[in-house]
Amino acid sequence: MDSISTSVARVGSRSRLTARVAALPGTDKALLALLFGAALLALVLGLVGGFVTALARAGALAFFPDDAYRLLTLHGVSVFFYWLYLIQAVLMLVLAAAENGRGLALRPLAWTGATLMLAGFGASEWISATGTPLLYDGSPELAADDPRSVGFFALGYLLLSAGLVASAVSGIATVLQPRLRGEASEFTSIGFALFAWAGFLVVSAIAATNAFLPGLLWSLGAGPFPADHGTEWHILFHNLHYLPLMATVLVWYVLSEQLTGVKSIHGARLSKIVFAAYLVFVPPTSLYHMFLEPNLSESVRVIGSLLSLFVSVPTLAAFAIIVSSLEASARAHGATGFFGWMRGLPWRNPAMANMGWAVVNMMLGITFAFVLIQEKLAPMLSDTFFVPGYFHFFAVGVLTQTFLAALMVILPALGGGTLWRPELLRCMPALVTIGLLVFGAAGIAAGFMGVPRRVFDIGYDGIAPAAWPVLMALVGIGATIFAIALSVSVYGVVRTMLSLRPSLEQAPVVDWRTGSRGVGAAPAWTGPLSVAALVAAMYVFTIVAFQLIQSSPIIAIGGGHGH
Amino acid sequence: MKMNEELWLVVVIAAVWAVLAAVYALIPSLGMPGYVRVWGGGAVLFLILAGVLVAVSRKAPRG
Amino acid sequence: MSERHFTTRRGFIAALGFSAVSLYGAWAAYGAAPLPFGGRKDAAPEPDAHGGHGAAAGMAPEEFRFEHDFFVQKYAQKDGSVNPHADADAHGGDAHGGHGHADAGHDHGAELTSVEPVDVYLMAQKFAYSPDVLRLKAGVPYRFRMMADDITHGASIQLGSASRIIRLRPNVVTEQSITFTKPGEYLVYCTVYCGQAHDAMHGRIIVG
Repeated sequence: MDSISTSVARVGSRSRLTARVAALPGTDKALLALLFGAALLALVLGLVGGFVTALARAGALAFFPDDAYRLLTLHGVSVFFYWLYLIQAVLMLVLAAAENGRGLALRPLAWTGATLMLAGFGASEWISATGTPLLYDGSPELAADDPRSVGFFALGYLLLSAGLVASAVSGIATVLQPRLRGEASEFTSIGFALFAWAGFLVVSAIAATNAFLPGLLWSLGAGPFPADHGTEWHILFHNLHYLPLMATVLVWYVLSEQLTGVKSIHGARLSKIVFAAYLVFVPPTSLYHMFLEPNLSESVRVIGSLLSLFVSVPTLAAFAIIVSSLEASARAHGATGFFGWMRGLPWRNPAMANMGWAVVNMMLGITFAFVLIQEKLAPMLSDTFFVPGYFHFFAVGVLTQTFLAALMVILPALGGGTLWRPELLRCMPALVTIGLLVFGAAGIAAGFMGVPRRVFDIGYDGIAPAAWPVLMALVGIGATIFAIALSVSVYGVVRTMLSLRPSLEQAPVVDWRTGSRGVGAAPAWTGPLSVAALVAAMYVFTIVAFQLIQSSPIIAIGGGHGH
Repeated sequence: MKMNEELWLVVVIAAVWAVLAAVYALIPSLGMPGYVRVWGGGAVLFLILAGVLVAVSRKAPRG
Repeated sequence: MSERHFTTRRGFIAALGFSAVSLYGAWAAYGAAPLPFGGRKDAAPEPDAHGGHGAAAGMAPEEFRFEHDFFVQKYAQKDGSVNPHADADAHGGDAHGGHGHADAGHDHGAELTSVEPVDVYLMAQKFAYSPDVLRLKAGVPYRFRMMADDITHGASIQLGSASRIIRLRPNVVTEQSITFTKPGEYLVYCTVYCGQAHDAMHGRIIVG
C-alpha cells in the first residue's frame, strides 16, 4: 500500500555533509570536538540541575531555600545559556566548514571565540554554585548587597557573548570562502541561513552585553545600579527564544537532506526568504514578554499582542516547506496512503526519530505559546508554571532533540567512530515526548491554577489549593521520565564521541532524490492538515483560557497599569 | 553589480530593525532605550553584512 | 511547475506560514483584540470602565507610602487584619461606606457615588505584604494600588481554578480595579523570586 520504490542508501556510503566533516583539517576537528564536548557537559549539568529541581518541586527532595534556588540557577544557566549557545556556535562552525569544504576561515578567531566561551562557562557555573542565587536572568536587585556575585555572573555571560561574536565572524568568513574563490556566485539555502544565523548570534551577543554590562560596571564601582535590568533582560530573552528555533529549522533542512536526500522542492529562494523572515519578525514580536510589566501602556500591550500573532510565521513556513518536500518526493517514488508515506522515512535511524518527535513537540509548544501571547491572558499565566510547562516542549522536545540528532550524524564523521546502539537510541525520543506530555499537561494545568513558576514550597501555610502538590508530583513524574530517556540519548552521543572504532555499519537512510519532473503532482496534505490541527488546538486552549478568566470570581481591569 | 535576493534580504532585515530602533528612539514614552541599542546595533550589523556581500561579489574571481 | 497540485505550490506553502494569525478570530470573539470597524470591547468588561486607568497618574512612591500608612493605621483591626469598611460597619453603613478613606489632603467622600471603587493599598516587601490580611466585601469594586518597596515582587491572587498574576516593580505604583464576585478566602502570594524566604511570602484577602 505504501511501499516506496527507493532503496536504502548504500552501506558505507558517505553523504556530502559527513564526507566533508570527515575531511576537515585536524585543528578544526580538535576545536569542534572541544566545543561539542563543552556543550554536552553543559547539557549534562543542566539536566542534573533540572531533574533535581523537579524532584524538589514534587516534594520528593528537600533543600534549604538558597541551595534550591542555586540548583535552579545552575539548571537555567547551564541549559539556556551554555548548552544552547555552545551547541549553536559549534553547529554553526561545523556546518559552515562543511559548506566551505576546506575547513574554517579565520581559524585563530574561532579558537579565541571558543576560549572566551569556555572561560564564560567556567565563571558562570562557579558563581552559580557558590554565589547568591540569581536565577538564570541574573537580576542584580537580588544581590544588591553582593556585588561580587552580580559582577562574576555578568562577566560569565559577557565572556560568552564575546566568544559568540568571534565564532560568528569566523563562521561568516567561512561560508563566504566558496564565493571568494569564485566557485559560487551565491549562497546555497543552507549557506545563506548560516550567514544570517551567524549575524543573529552577534545580535544576541549585543543584547547580552546590553543587559549585563551595566551589572559588571556597577560591581566594579564604575557605574550606577542597573535598575532597568528587567527590561533589558526581556530583549535578550526574546533573542534567546528565536535564535535556537532558527538553528533548529536549519538543522532540519540539513538532516532531511542527510537522511532522505531530499532538498526543498520549492527552490532555494523561498528557503532564503523564510530564513530571512526569522530576522524580520524578531524585533516586532518581542513585546509579549513584557505584558506583566507595570509600566507598559495599554496601547503598547494591544499592539504587542497583535504583532505576536506573527511570531510563528517563519517556523510554520519552514515546517511546510520541509514536510511538503518530503511528502512530494516520497509520492514521486510511489508512496501512497494519506499519511502512509511517512512510514518510508528512516525511523530506525535515531537522528530521524529525534527530528520527527521534535516536530511533534514543536506543535505542542506552539499551541500553548499562542495562549501566552494574548495580553488579556498573560495576567493569568505569566510567572506561573504554565511557562516552564509549555517551554520544555521547546527546550527539551524540539531544540535539544534536534541538536542531539545533528550530533548523531556529525560526531561519527568527525571522530571516525560509530554511533552507539542506534536501536536503543531511536526509542528514546518517544519516551522523552511521553515524559514531556506528563510534565507539560500537569505543568500547564498548574499554571492555569496559578502555581508560581519559581517556588519550591507551595504550601503557603495550608491556604494553597489541594490540587497544587498533586500537579507538582505529576510534574516530577514527567520530568523523571524524560530526564532518564534524555540521559540515555546524551550518554549515547558521548559514547559516540569517544568511540574510536569505525564501522561500516551506518544508521539507515533512504534516498528519495528525484528530478523535478513529477514531483508535487500528487496532493501533499500532511503539512496543511498538521497546521489545521495546530490552529484548532490553539483555538481550543485559547477559548479554555478565556472561559477560565470569565468564570473566575473577580472582575479585574488593569493588567499592571503603571503611571 | 548584480543585486541578488540575498543582498536584498539582508538589506530588508537591516531596514526593519532600523525602523523599529527609530520608533523606540523617537517615542521616549515607550521607555525602552535598550531596544534602540539592540535593534539599532543589529541594523548596523546587517548593513555591514550587506556591504560584505557587495564587497565579496566585487572581489570574487569572474569566470 | 504548472502540473503541481496546489498543496505543493510555493504560494500555498508560504500562506501556511501565516496560519496561526487566524487566532485573531478567537481573540476578537472574546473582545480581546481591536476590531477593524466595530471598535474594541474589553474581555472582562467593568461596569464602570474608569477602572484602573488614570486615578494613580503621577502618584509618586512617597505619596503611595504615605497613603498606605494612613490606610493601614485607619482600618487596622484587633485581629491584625485591615478592613476598609470598618467605619461603615461600625455605624451600620452599607457596603460602600468605606470608600471615603480620605487621602491625606482632602476628604473626597462626598464626591463619590455608589459605584465609586474603594481604595485599597498593598505594599510588598521582603518577605511579606502590608497589610497581610485584608477584609473586603463581595460585589464591591476596589481600586487596588500596589507597590513593591524594595525589589520586584508578585502580588498574585489565587482564585480557585485560575489566578490573577500581578508583578510589582520597586517604586512603581501599580493600579488595578478588582471586584470580588464571590465570598471566600483568597491567597495573595509572591510570583517573582525575591530571595531566601520567597516561598513564605503570602497574605490573605478575606471576602465576606
